[in-house]
Amino acid sequence: MATTATKSVNAKLVLLGDVGAGKSSLVLRFVKGQFIDFQESTIGAAFFSQTIAVNDATVKFEIWDTAGQERYHSLAPMYYRGAAAAIVVYDITNPISFTRAKKWVQELQAQGNTNMIMALAGNKSDLLDARKVTAEATQTYAEENNLFFMETSAKSATNVNEIFYEIAKRLPRAQPVQNPVGMVLMDRPVERTAGASCCS
Amino acid sequence: MTWIPYKRSWDGIDSTGHNVNAGLLEKDRNLYTIRAVPLTDVHSIHRHAPPLGWQYVIVVLSSGLAHPPLYFYNGGVREFLATIKQHVSLLRSRDDANVFLVNDLQDPLQKSLSSLELPRAVPGSNGTALHSSISSSFSNETPGRLNDATVDGKSTTTEYNGKQKQKFNDPARDISIQVLEKFSLVTKFARETTSQLFRESHHDSSNSYERMQWMNSGSINMASIEPTIKQKVPDENPATLDSLQVDKLSLVWGKARQSPLNYVEWATFLDSEGRVKDSEALRKRIFYGGVENNLRKEVWRILLGYHAYDSTYAEREYLASVKKSEYDVIKSQWQSISPSQAKRFTKFRERRGLIEKDVVRTDRSFTYYDGDDNQNVTLLHDILLTYSFYNFDLGYCQGMSDLLSPILFVMENESEAFWSFVALMERLGPNFNRDQNGMHSQLFALSKLVELLDSPLHNYLKQADCLNYFFCFRWILIQFKREFEYEQVMYLWEVFWTHYLSEHFHLYVCVAILKRYSRKIIGEQMDFDTLLKFINELSGHIDLDGIIRDAEALCVCAGENGEACIPPGTPPSLPIEAESMYLPQDDDL
Repeated sequence: MATTATKSVNAKLVLLGDVGAGKSSLVLRFVKGQFIDFQESTIGAAFFSQTIAVNDATVKFEIWDTAGQERYHSLAPMYYRGAAAAIVVYDITNPISFTRAKKWVQELQAQGNTNMIMALAGNKSDLLDARKVTAEATQTYAEENNLFFMETSAKSATNVNEIFYEIAKRLPRAQPVQNPVGMVLMDRPVERTAGASCCS
Repeated sequence: MTWIPYKRSWDGIDSTGHNVNAGLLEKDRNLYTIRAVPLTDVHSIHRHAPPLGWQYVIVVLSSGLAHPPLYFYNGGVREFLATIKQHVSLLRSRDDANVFLVNDLQDPLQKSLSSLELPRAVPGSNGTALHSSISSSFSNETPGRLNDATVDGKSTTTEYNGKQKQKFNDPARDISIQVLEKFSLVTKFARETTSQLFRESHHDSSNSYERMQWMNSGSINMASIEPTIKQKVPDENPATLDSLQVDKLSLVWGKARQSPLNYVEWATFLDSEGRVKDSEALRKRIFYGGVENNLRKEVWRILLGYHAYDSTYAEREYLASVKKSEYDVIKSQWQSISPSQAKRFTKFRERRGLIEKDVVRTDRSFTYYDGDDNQNVTLLHDILLTYSFYNFDLGYCQGMSDLLSPILFVMENESEAFWSFVALMERLGPNFNRDQNGMHSQLFALSKLVELLDSPLHNYLKQADCLNYFFCFRWILIQFKREFEYEQVMYLWEVFWTHYLSEHFHLYVCVAILKRYSRKIIGEQMDFDTLLKFINELSGHIDLDGIIRDAEALCVCAGENGEACIPPGTPPSLPIEAESMYLPQDDDL
């Protein structure tokens, strides 16, 4: 689902996960290099963009950060529709958030975009003493479901850039196309970009 | 003529009737009843057929007094006028085809012309035949009638009508009547305020230069208002109406903000026992200036509806003590849950966990809530958890801690903050419904208001497929809590809570902000993503006073057309349904 120009890829990425798992904190760390102890809850959704260089190309991530509460679940499809990648975030100190992460994975698998790159982030890896979800159990789950998995810490900046780089590397590379400046992905990239890109 | 709402009785030739509704307040009934007015006292009848919503007429007496609107939710205005015409001479005003002058025979030519206007509507010459035709149109249960009466061939309204249809398929037709009454209450406020502003502007012309500037800058888009008028009066000379409209608009500009209400002035609004003497005057005063911080505790409880305007000091004190006990009882319900009980009570643990996660990140940079082990953060937690027991069906939802935070800061008292929050949630609770219907109806109303007040922006958003207005979600859900400084938020909220110009003033604030950036949004061809980012990043950069003034002007300009954009029952209007509206779901916390 990425659109390319010469060595430039735009990729829509969505963050999903339970309340307080650290979705906004991961984005803030990645986009601004900051961490706030009491990051306020996300109301509705927030949008950020960040460009990184990977190998021979630059990837511009268009990142949707969503509200975590189940109550707002019905809004989620609006944000993950047409996404090239998703990071499903849970909190390693909170087993319920891992259960919820698995539900998100299921939902994304069910919505039928087989090209979507899915990453699973076990966040708050700095809180080792409070760990409730083991990395081994998650790794098994991730392999079974064809996800790639990393434990991250937005607070200590561990694996935050790495997870985004890893996604960037896995994005499908397309041949340079007619449109030299690239184009912005919309909600319906399947129809709109079919002629201009290669998402196979 | 006589108009008796909620009664299906036809006791006079020109009376019209509605279903009996036992659930309705006597005062509402009194407000909308017109008791036996001789037709000789009627000066004119104004017909309103907004492109959205129901047709209604306003009866203006020779004395200049106007009755509240009479709504025709299933059509029947034409028949009503035809019936009136059986008894008196009725002629169309030359200035406005929707104004029918009663007993105005000064111009014989007009009289003869007017007699040509209504021929189709009269099915028979005797009163009895008319009765049946009108009453059938009133009691017709076919939902399609609603559409027939309101759509008028405008395709964009079908969605709205479809929605209404669903809502009113309920066997209890009374609900729709209640809806209408709530609706007309709103338009009544708007109308009264409009006329008031026009009156005032005659006295105060100091702002006229500013107004002209504003007009010239195209802040109000004439093109967007024109079609509405033309639509209403397809067969009339639009030039006359347009110039009237311009005239109206040039008089309107949001008034300069005043200093906040202080203690000395507050005392002048109260009688010796503490009752608010003139609630309208008080609401108006607060609308234009807000309230000084040390006075908020007292005033907010009244604005929010926790205390009645006509309550005395003693009554308020008594209520506070009763409510304190009541609060303690509800709070003890969750406090008495033992750890071993909690272990077997997942829903409770999850709900508590959610609240714990949110209170520690609510306004922590604000002194009142900062630092470790802050007692006020604990109070936020306790009040929210108690609320989730008080209103178990709605529970806790993200955003509620934002709404509670300023209230607790102002009240500085757990029980008082709780009950004030309860009062606020009576109106804003639907914002947090699982099905999002409260939010959807507000976002829908917003899209209609922008269509009315800024058609270029509307057209752009339509073309960019952004008409769902989700980029305004945060603004509406938590009433701009994240968009302004703490002090400004409190000020804006009390302006909202006056419900002075409109119960939905917050929507006009949305329009005012969007309008300021309309050119930028269109010029930069913002797509949905960019727009959401742009709107989120406006936080902290909005000129609040200017926006409130713009919103006031927009609200007044839009008038009844504006209020007609807002579906009845849209939050923060009080909910229509009496029974519980929060349907709990399995996964719901």
